[in-house]
Amino acid sequence: MEQSGKIGKEKLSCRGITKSFSSSSGNFEVLHDLTFDVYENEFLVLFGPGQCGKTTLLYMLAGLEECTEGEVFHNGEPVTGPAPSRAVVYQTMALFPWMTVWDNVSFSQKVRKAEKKVIAERTQYFIDLVGLTGFEKSYPVQLSGGMKQRVGIARAYCSDPDVLLMDEPFGHLDAQTRYMMQESLGKIWENEKRTIVFVTNNIEEALYLADRIILLSDCPSQIKKEYRITLPRPRSLVSPEFLKLRKEITEQMNMSD
Amino acid sequence: MRHNYGKIRVVLYGAGTFLVLLSLWQIAAMTSNSEIGFPTPVAVIGRFFHMLSNKVGSYTIWGHTLWSLSRVVIGYLLACVLGVVLGLTMGWFPYVKALFKPVFDLLRPIAPLAWIPLAILWFGIGEKYKYFLIFIAAFVPFTLNSYAGAVRVDRQLIGAARMLGASHSQVFFRIVVPSAVPSIFSGAQVALSNAWMTMLAAEMVRSSEGIGWLIIAGQGINDMTQMIAGMLAIGIVGFLLANGMRLLERRCLVWNNQGK
Repeated sequence: MEQSGKIGKEKLSCRGITKSFSSSSGNFEVLHDLTFDVYENEFLVLFGPGQCGKTTLLYMLAGLEECTEGEVFHNGEPVTGPAPSRAVVYQTMALFPWMTVWDNVSFSQKVRKAEKKVIAERTQYFIDLVGLTGFEKSYPVQLSGGMKQRVGIARAYCSDPDVLLMDEPFGHLDAQTRYMMQESLGKIWENEKRTIVFVTNNIEEALYLADRIILLSDCPSQIKKEYRITLPRPRSLVSPEFLKLRKEITEQMNMSD
Repeated sequence: MRHNYGKIRVVLYGAGTFLVLLSLWQIAAMTSNSEIGFPTPVAVIGRFFHMLSNKVGSYTIWGHTLWSLSRVVIGYLLACVLGVVLGLTMGWFPYVKALFKPVFDLLRPIAPLAWIPLAILWFGIGEKYKYFLIFIAAFVPFTLNSYAGAVRVDRQLIGAARMLGASHSQVFFRIVVPSAVPSIFSGAQVALSNAWMTMLAAEMVRSSEGIGWLIIAGQGINDMTQMIAGMLAIGIVGFLLANGMRLLERRCLVWNNQGK
């Protein structure tokens, strides 16, 4: 492919992955023969309509779901299960409700039995980074939706992953909070560059955040088209270039195959 | 202000019903011409306070209550430890479930009271048989609720913990156990009232102290006042235990309450 000018080497590689679920009414295919790479420090958005397969695809990258066919490689090694090197930010947040913000964020460091001093520094750093300073002792139930997802992002970052996998992390938030979180995430990522794979069905969100967008078709999902987004950051949601791309991708998405 | 006023009214209504019932009881007892003298509430309350400082049998009512409580506490704590361990491991480790769940399912519908004759045969009429019965009564709800708590752990939290690097044992101790705590607490409430009830039966069958004994001894000498005063003690202590447990639960489960 025409990837020559890209920032880094391949982090994740999907080779012909297919996923189908069997039910009483037969096999239901959600992903069909996907092959693509994710490059180092790239912000890749998997964008597509409806509810078909995007989350499943992300879970397969994480190792939380098995491929029916094909394989996922992470730094050349086949992915066989979940690992701290690929942290997931869930749409449902999936915070540990009995732990405070501090304990949620520091969890990965604690289970790895890191040094106390290291744990404290890292945890504080990422809590500060996502703007939750002062809420260290709060429980998730005491936080708003946007704040909860900040905890989710800090928790994923704090485990020092090689790749961050985000599953529609702002899907449950109201529009206003969503804009704020997109802006925050953009800034966080500028400060702490990581390889991010981000799933969404919101075109604005995709265009605001992505270096590259992979447009997926509806069920079973296949790669329809790829877009490299080179608009300067921070992006304006109303610049003519932005709106033009938005129109183009939306039309492409709605076109039947 | 208005809110407080409403609260006061609720309390007043409750107290009103209580007073009406007590008055009816008082009037009925005073006008009754039955041969067995039915005690008035005033007499019962009077006797209750009398027993606080005067011995019935070998102890004051404080002493009897402590005896009953100590039996409940021992059987209950034993049931708590074993029930929670068995329930959680059965809920999380398939081979523990395969080993113990069938036996447990077979034994659990047997009411604790059905064990009384066997328990006396095995342990004699001393303290041990009472501990055993109370243990059985509390063990079942503890085990069942711990099991349910472990089974119903949010799978996504398990996935999240694993992707954050938790080992299998860390997943069990840091995720499964704490997320089962609310369920264990509701088991603990049921276990407590079961234990408290079973203690009475055990004491009534065979003992020489305790609130159960107090009531049975009252029956032996046709002293209805003593029996009802004993029942009053059961009610008060049972009420305090249940509320104490609720308080403890609220303390331990701050994260489960809407930010309180």
